[in-house]
Amino acid sequence: MNTRILRPALAVYTAAFLLFLYGPLIVLAILSFQSQTGGPQFPIQEWSTYWYRHLFGLTETSRISQLPVGDSLVRSLVLAFMTTVVSTVLGTMSAEAFRTRFKGSGPVFYLIILGMMVPGVLVGLGMALLSNFAGIDRAWWGTAFVLHVVYTYPFAFLVMLAIFNRFDRSVEEASMSLGVSPAQTFRRVTFPIIFPGVLSAMLFSFTLSYDEFSRTLFTVGRELTLPLSIYGTFSVEIYPNIFAFGVLTTLFSFTLLVIYGVLMKRFTASRAGRFSGQEEAA
Amino acid sequence: MLKLSGVTRRYGDAVALDGLDFIVPDDTYVSLLGASGSGKTTLLRLIAGFEEPDAGELMLGGERLDGKPPHRRDIGFVFQNFALFPHLSVEENVAFGLRHRESKAVPAGSDLNDRVNAALDLVGLTGFGHRGVGEISGGQKQRVALARTLVTEPRIVLLDEPLGALDANLRARMCDELRAIRERLKVSFLHVTGSETEALTMGDTVAVLANGRIAQAQDSTSLFTQPANTAAARHLNAWNLIGGRVKGRTLDTAVGALPISQSLPDGSEAQLAVRFDQIGVCEPDQVPAGQDHFTARYLAGEFNGPTELSFFRADNGDLIQVVNHLSNPRLPDLTEGRTYALHFSPDAALLFEGAA
Amino acid sequence: MSTMTTDMPAEKGQSPAIKREARDRRRALMLLSPGVLWMVLFMILPMIMVVYVSFWTQTTFAVEPTLTTASWERFLSSSTYLSAIGTTLRVWAIVLVATLVVGYPVALFIGLFVKNRTIQTALLVACVIPFWTSFLIRVIAWRPMLGTEGAINVILQKLGIINEPLTFLLFSEFSVLVGMTQIYCVFMVGPITFMIARIDESMIEAARDLGASFGTIFRRIILPLSMPGVIVGAIFVSVMVLGEFATAASLSGRKTNMLGNIIVSQVGSLKWAFAAVAGVVLTLIIAAVITLALRIVDLRKEM
Repeated sequence: MNTRILRPALAVYTAAFLLFLYGPLIVLAILSFQSQTGGPQFPIQEWSTYWYRHLFGLTETSRISQLPVGDSLVRSLVLAFMTTVVSTVLGTMSAEAFRTRFKGSGPVFYLIILGMMVPGVLVGLGMALLSNFAGIDRAWWGTAFVLHVVYTYPFAFLVMLAIFNRFDRSVEEASMSLGVSPAQTFRRVTFPIIFPGVLSAMLFSFTLSYDEFSRTLFTVGRELTLPLSIYGTFSVEIYPNIFAFGVLTTLFSFTLLVIYGVLMKRFTASRAGRFSGQEEAA
Repeated sequence: MLKLSGVTRRYGDAVALDGLDFIVPDDTYVSLLGASGSGKTTLLRLIAGFEEPDAGELMLGGERLDGKPPHRRDIGFVFQNFALFPHLSVEENVAFGLRHRESKAVPAGSDLNDRVNAALDLVGLTGFGHRGVGEISGGQKQRVALARTLVTEPRIVLLDEPLGALDANLRARMCDELRAIRERLKVSFLHVTGSETEALTMGDTVAVLANGRIAQAQDSTSLFTQPANTAAARHLNAWNLIGGRVKGRTLDTAVGALPISQSLPDGSEAQLAVRFDQIGVCEPDQVPAGQDHFTARYLAGEFNGPTELSFFRADNGDLIQVVNHLSNPRLPDLTEGRTYALHFSPDAALLFEGAA
Repeated sequence: MSTMTTDMPAEKGQSPAIKREARDRRRALMLLSPGVLWMVLFMILPMIMVVYVSFWTQTTFAVEPTLTTASWERFLSSSTYLSAIGTTLRVWAIVLVATLVVGYPVALFIGLFVKNRTIQTALLVACVIPFWTSFLIRVIAWRPMLGTEGAINVILQKLGIINEPLTFLLFSEFSVLVGMTQIYCVFMVGPITFMIARIDESMIEAARDLGASFGTIFRRIILPLSMPGVIVGAIFVSVMVLGEFATAASLSGRKTNMLGNIIVSQVGSLKWAFAAVAGVVLTLIIAAVITLALRIVDLRKEM
């Protein structure tokens, strides 16, 4: 086939693919502005923000109950925060360990990576059985939390591994030759330089944990996280308030992404001149 | 005094250092000359403690070094790539060691600032303290790296090809400054380089590292005029080596029999060494009386400014080099492809026992 | 320089090199142990527990640690459970092929035909952005799309292509397959694009100069070199699809029951032992798929 035909053909195909990716979300966003009387489908009876107000309990009580997102949102945020801290620390420690060659690094690598591979429903089931067996109560801050870390720690580990691969070891040696202990060297030299990577690892961990659902299902106990509250409403009839919620939660994610971008940019901008030195030397 | 005895370092089957003995006296500029891959960086890393030897002993001022972690050795290290802290300003880089070192740390304050400024003055970077390290030139980075090391007053300073990343102009200037700075501080510098001119210029003592050992360590002049062995002679890049077998008072070489001054056992292998600048060139039938000589074919000349290097091919394929100083020319006009007699005074030739 | 052998002869006790090496190894071990311990306690141990409980005795409302193969026998003799295995494998195979077929041309376009780095990155980012929406929202978004009064039916009717709304679109295996393909496609596009973009341009140009057609270049150069990307993508998609239950539960109207759905419903009715059996079966399937894929490509090298 001639590339002169293939190129535009593939361009059109890619555009169609993007439409396939975004189509449902666009439809969902449109339908979130359905009026009170309209259902979760076309046509739009009348454009309104009714379902957004419904979400925040700002409408008069209707027969459709408010989405139970209040407490679960707080729980999910706290859980995501805990997960982020622990998995970033673990990921950084492990990646640091992988800078030394040691026997058995292969199996350990796969053991860690397995955490992101193994289906959530499986470890979730296992954890539920284990806690039953050991007589431990299931809770979002306990049994669910440890599974979230199992899931996000491999991602943090891979991000940090990539960062350390590009890291110039001689700055650490320089620090030690100045009489600075390894611990202080890590704190004053290594950490500041790898910080952008740590930020990425944190972003990864946070979003994965915040949206985690299959691992949480069996291990959360009585107090639900946000995705589980949402999932609970699927079994009954859905209303456009879910769509409104979807739009808001997407906006929230983007805010997070923008904050990350701004942090990264500020960090690299203020250090831009200084960092070019590291790249030049490397 | 830094004293290394029997130091060995292996990487798998490859031997980088093989029972090396070496002394760096106090208050001396020592340059260490070695080809790339000769283990010279390994030697520095062993002294600094970034790596440990497989065998041997390292002593500094009567105290055992090996086995100590690098941050407790009190040895300065200047890296080829400078290894400045990219996230810190120039003065923060220089202050880093004093502020954060394990023992005798200096808290932030006027004392610290004074010492940092003094170090910056020393390397000629007065007023550059607030710059980021990405905002300064290569030569200035080198100075920051030096100031950062010197301000902590190490017992000895190791410099790993410190001029390698600088351009030629800057390199010459830094050479002078490095020597001047060292003389003011009275601390020993051990400067590793692959360039024989740099080694000879810089070192009070020049050591040649070859085959995992120190082939020779002596002052520049003695080393240059009287290399002790073929390894040293070869590294100076100024000596032609002609190998052969001893037969009475002559050396039977591929370019013919050449007289030797020492008596060596018949049949033993030996190398005759003649410096590039001590060979004269003439027509084969016009060799001056009292000169030893052999013939070789002229290949090409290389013009280097004040000197000109001429390349000859001996009958056995050996490359022979002859230097001509343009201010004092000794050579006739040469025609490429023609055969000439290369002659030298018997006193100028050195004889080394053993094979090449 | 970093390859150090451990079998050096120890001269006069231990040389400093060996001591240093041992210390570095101890340090690495200490740094690793919390993570490894975490994974063993909270991933390996639970998995072992699943296997263990699959041999427990199931009573009406509880399980007892008396070992029996009763749950296994019941599972393997029940057509419901066995058909769940079939459904799981069918859905997995179709989605795997669908993500590859849908995704490969996109990867080819982004990786090979888009020369501008900025546009390349922008297109990749565009593929990833939907991931910033919650997974469940992405699943549920297909309902107003595929329903009888959904966007597709409305558009098709407006265009006069159909008179009656198509009913097979939603609450069927079709909707599950479409939803999964959309959700997991990016995991295929990403790795393949990465591998294709790494292909040396001059190699393709040389082939073209030698008169090779695009078809030949694709078959001989691009396809083989993009294979590791396909495998990595296939591993990602496989483990995610095989462990799925939410998409099937939300979009099939309970008509499509994968092993994941069996586990969820069994846990819901406190049939822990049956859930465990389904879990073990699922683990075996996934292990087989990953082992097969890892035979073909070394994951650690590709990352």
